[in-house]
Amino acid sequence: MANDREVLREIWDGKLPICFQLHQEDLMDIQQPDPFYVMVPRLSYFPLVTDKMKRHFLRYISQESADNEMWLDYNGQPLKWHYPIGFLYDLYCGHDPQLPWTLTVHFTKFPENILLHCPNKDIVEAHYMSTVKEADVLKHRGQVMSTMQKKDHNQLWLGLQNDKFDQFWAINRRLMESHGDNEGFKYIPLRIYSDEGICSQRLISPKNNDGSRKVIQQLLSELYPNKPDVKLRTHGILIPSDTPLQWLSEHMSYPDNFLHICLC
Amino acid sequence: MGDEKPDDISQTETSNSENVKENEQKENGESGKTDKVKVDILLKATGNAPIMKKKKWTVDAEKPIGWIIEFVKKYLKLEPEEKLFLYVNQTFAPSPDQVIRNLYECFGSDGKLVLHYCKSQAWG
Repeated sequence: MANDREVLREIWDGKLPICFQLHQEDLMDIQQPDPFYVMVPRLSYFPLVTDKMKRHFLRYISQESADNEMWLDYNGQPLKWHYPIGFLYDLYCGHDPQLPWTLTVHFTKFPENILLHCPNKDIVEAHYMSTVKEADVLKHRGQVMSTMQKKDHNQLWLGLQNDKFDQFWAINRRLMESHGDNEGFKYIPLRIYSDEGICSQRLISPKNNDGSRKVIQQLLSELYPNKPDVKLRTHGILIPSDTPLQWLSEHMSYPDNFLHICLC
Repeated sequence: MGDEKPDDISQTETSNSENVKENEQKENGESGKTDKVKVDILLKATGNAPIMKKKKWTVDAEKPIGWIIEFVKKYLKLEPEEKLFLYVNQTFAPSPDQVIRNLYECFGSDGKLVLHYCKSQAWG
């Protein structure tokens, strides 16, 4: 069970300052809009924190584009709304951190082959809940999520959406418990991304064959036997190589219950 | 290959594996992959979805789920605006950009990945 509560709190409180700028092509007004600055939780998703920013830019763009779906890019790289914000920052800026993170806002030329559509927040919720379920299948064969009530599922989502740590963790702690006589999960929900953003997900046990707990160093030599120098980054830090996977999963997973880790 | 019956409870007819035709031109960066890994998938209808005559298919492991959804929709001759949902383990709907390989590695069994499809959200 997760009991290093301070760590959970630190991770939860992680925020990023973001500077949004309207793409010049979408600008219809003779007046340049001011950039829009905001602090956003690293653990959140862009569609949950961009309503105000969108309203700010709407009056500078054409009527037709105003009904289009808004999307974001960093340095020409479209940002996937269904990845947590902090993970996107680590992926594209982790090697060269720069704050505030300057992003471009678009209302035209939606990159259909790269981004999924997000017509409303229900889509974000559906994606989020589905990812939590997937994680629970890996950890507990899906038993925790399937025995929870609908209101528990809602509480998880609302806790995340409204940035309420206690509300969220009152439910999430049940997803972080080990079952049976096992110390640890069946498998660790873990996605590792290359710097092109290609995601690799494998069945990873929190234990070695001899029953000892598996640490990052052992995971790396299992997954990348030919690359002795690889490092992993999440929540803006490089993960120490002696960190046990079970601890990492309990304390540094995103609210969707997955570890989202950048390879570097 | 593939003409033995899968040993689970499925109601499969003796369906041979067949390649899902790759008609579409690849324009995005995936073309650099040299090792074309293929995996077997089994598509099962649930709820009100029509049954596919052929259920077992072999697909390029790097294909995303969204591609499979489009393939099933085309096969079942659904209208473009009709929805189709795909589920793994009858539990969760993977993101359309998740690649088959990741799901196969984590949730495949007996050498194949079972995907349930339906026209409305089944396991919301």
